[in-house]
Amino acid sequence: MTRRELLALGAAVPILKAAPAPAAPVSIVRCRTYTNDELLASMKTLFDQLGGLPRLVRNKTVTVKLNLTGSPALKFQGRALGVTHYSHPNMVAAFAHLAHEAGARRVRFVESAWGTAGPLEEYMLDSGWNVRRLSAVAPNIEYENTNALGKGKRYSRLKTAGGGYIYPVIDFNHSYEDTDCFVSMAKLKNHATCGITLAMKNCFGNTPASIYGDDAGVDAPNESPTSGRVNTCHLGKRQPAKSSPGELDPTSSREPGYRMPRITVDVVSARPIDLSIIDGIETVTGGEGPWIKGLKHVTPHVLLAGTNMVCTDAVGTAVMGYDPRAARGVKPFIDCDNMLTLAEARGLGTADLARIEVAGLPIAEARYAFP
Amino acid sequence: MRWPGQTAQSLALLEGTPVNCLLLERERWQPELLDAAAKRGLATLAVVRPGFDGAVPGAFAGVVLEGDFAPAEVAKYRDSGRPVIELVSRYRLRFDGVSSVAGTWQGVWPGIQLEEEGSTKSAPSGAPWINTNTGFLRFAKAASKGVVWIGVRPPEKNTFRVERYLQAIGDAAMSGARWVVALDADFEKRLLGGDDRARKDWERMARHLRFYEEHREWRGLDPYGLLALVEDTPGALLSGGILDMIAVKHTPVRPMPTRRLQGGALRGAQMAVNVNPETLSAEQQEALRTFARSGGTLLTGPPGWKFPAVPDGQITLADEAVKTLDTIWKELNSMTGRRNLGVRLFNVASMLSNLTATADGKTLYLHLVNYSDYPVDSVTAHVLGRWTKAKLYTPEGPPKDLEIYPVDEGTGIDIPALTAVGVIRID
Repeated sequence: MTRRELLALGAAVPILKAAPAPAAPVSIVRCRTYTNDELLASMKTLFDQLGGLPRLVRNKTVTVKLNLTGSPALKFQGRALGVTHYSHPNMVAAFAHLAHEAGARRVRFVESAWGTAGPLEEYMLDSGWNVRRLSAVAPNIEYENTNALGKGKRYSRLKTAGGGYIYPVIDFNHSYEDTDCFVSMAKLKNHATCGITLAMKNCFGNTPASIYGDDAGVDAPNESPTSGRVNTCHLGKRQPAKSSPGELDPTSSREPGYRMPRITVDVVSARPIDLSIIDGIETVTGGEGPWIKGLKHVTPHVLLAGTNMVCTDAVGTAVMGYDPRAARGVKPFIDCDNMLTLAEARGLGTADLARIEVAGLPIAEARYAFP
Repeated sequence: MRWPGQTAQSLALLEGTPVNCLLLERERWQPELLDAAAKRGLATLAVVRPGFDGAVPGAFAGVVLEGDFAPAEVAKYRDSGRPVIELVSRYRLRFDGVSSVAGTWQGVWPGIQLEEEGSTKSAPSGAPWINTNTGFLRFAKAASKGVVWIGVRPPEKNTFRVERYLQAIGDAAMSGARWVVALDADFEKRLLGGDDRARKDWERMARHLRFYEEHREWRGLDPYGLLALVEDTPGALLSGGILDMIAVKHTPVRPMPTRRLQGGALRGAQMAVNVNPETLSAEQQEALRTFARSGGTLLTGPPGWKFPAVPDGQITLADEAVKTLDTIWKELNSMTGRRNLGVRLFNVASMLSNLTATADGKTLYLHLVNYSDYPVDSVTAHVLGRWTKAKLYTPEGPPKDLEIYPVDEGTGIDIPALTAVGVIRID
């Protein structure tokens, strides 16, 4: 059957409905501190409620996308980055330990470090992490800064779902393809442009600044990027490096509230998340980092995890006190389209709470009202 | 210290502190205060400003001429036989060895620069900008080879937390200079009035002053690193110049005043930046050629460029100069990259550092000053070369041995936490 025939069939036979977006359970636990003992116990319960970590990671290369957004030089009220807007190093270590126990072949931590293509380990040191201690938690721990080509020989070109909202394909550092289990370790926090920063929005950072950055090369990737992606992604003022296919429609809206949710969905549809982990032990409200005015440090004391990224983020959104299917103009999607329903429309998962089983702490008990 | 008290009793606040020299403004030239100070072994210096035509009481141990005096006026005070210390504007500093102290009253008030609403000045991308005198002081120290004082006062009509005073002490001390302690009006009033909080803050300041006095040998150490910065007045007298830009990156750098640029002056350096090439003498140019011929990497300022004239009273860079320096800065950045030029530091965005060494190069001292109001956890240093011991000195407690470990560049050192200042001795 040709594409034309398929489209014609779809138009002629409206009774053939698309399958409902998949649903999967989401686990929630209470966790009050980042102390190793409490974290290990809480995370073990978190994963056990999903059927256990071994089924997800045994004999696999596990790639964990951290959330180390913005320069590590920017701290909020002098607090450690991990208790505000960054992944917490103790949680990262706890995951490495549990993944090793569960039989993971290797654990590779990745992030597109802000403004640099230097080693991720040095970025972590700049974030106040003890990398030696983290590396000693388990054998075969690796690190890769995915802001450029890194340790790979070529970029991995992955197709977006349904042809993509903004980009038909995304070019990634090899780490996002050379993995058997992809984990997004996110924070429970708002985002100034997208309303929420959870597991899916965390993966916006998968895009290499060498191609999608403001100082990306015009023709070829810039392997020494030093800036963010505001002009290329948020505002669409320029196209990615020509080595990568550009936007589907360069005349589409340039409004960040239109673009960013769609780009996020494109990214996570090209490289779906196998395990979403959301840290809401300590975090911030009002934005994604200290450069956003009105930020506040808060302590919801919860951890969430799930194997479907849309379901997990939908539950995370509900825990924040919002309706995950809220329309544009309603909190938290005041100035943007709802990335959850955009993802749902692509068949990536349901944002319908009625279809999502919550294991462990009920949403009502976990709820912490974000502004 | 610029002493705020007017009574003999006020001097009790100095008991147990290392403060041993008081600068007294005219309204404090009371005989009983001078007498009480002498009995406590405190040296008193009369602060005199241009236009004063009275007599300085004989009880004073010396005179501080604060401001820009005509040479004849200075000579008059020197001829009186008492020690004279000049606190001139930066552009009057001579570095000729005539004065025992190279001193200035001009400086920026050290600390993280705040925006109008009081939040930290920063972008999503970068570290907060730190106002510091260290670039100027390190140049002054290298140019004078002697004692350097900076008499900057806290900006008027402001009150400051004690941390800002600790930063001012550390800012000068890590550069081998001394800050003439001065308090804001509110702090002075509260301290003299017996306010508990003010006394505690003063005790904390005294602890920091004592810390540096007990290690006064640190002031005489030479800067250490593989990068040398060749520059001189007037550009080197500014704050926020190229030396401060390098300092923000925590790249160890040896200030090399052009006047001291002779054969062998760059020994030990692998890279040199010549900011003002047009001003070099033939001999100085030859010294740089020799350096380059022997394998050193030399970066020079834009052809034909001279540091712009600095308006009187200005001690920070004008926008035009910033733009020009930016050209050099970008090249310097690409030249140094992630190279280890002595030490690389991590998690130090709110800090400034200075790496110094003993003459034999067998011991390094890494000075750290934290300009935020919050302690910093988990600082890491990668020191070039193999070292066997590291010890952390702070004003808060006894020295602590630090664990060291091998890294690709040489030696790794973890510093678990730092409150305000710290010095790491590395053997």
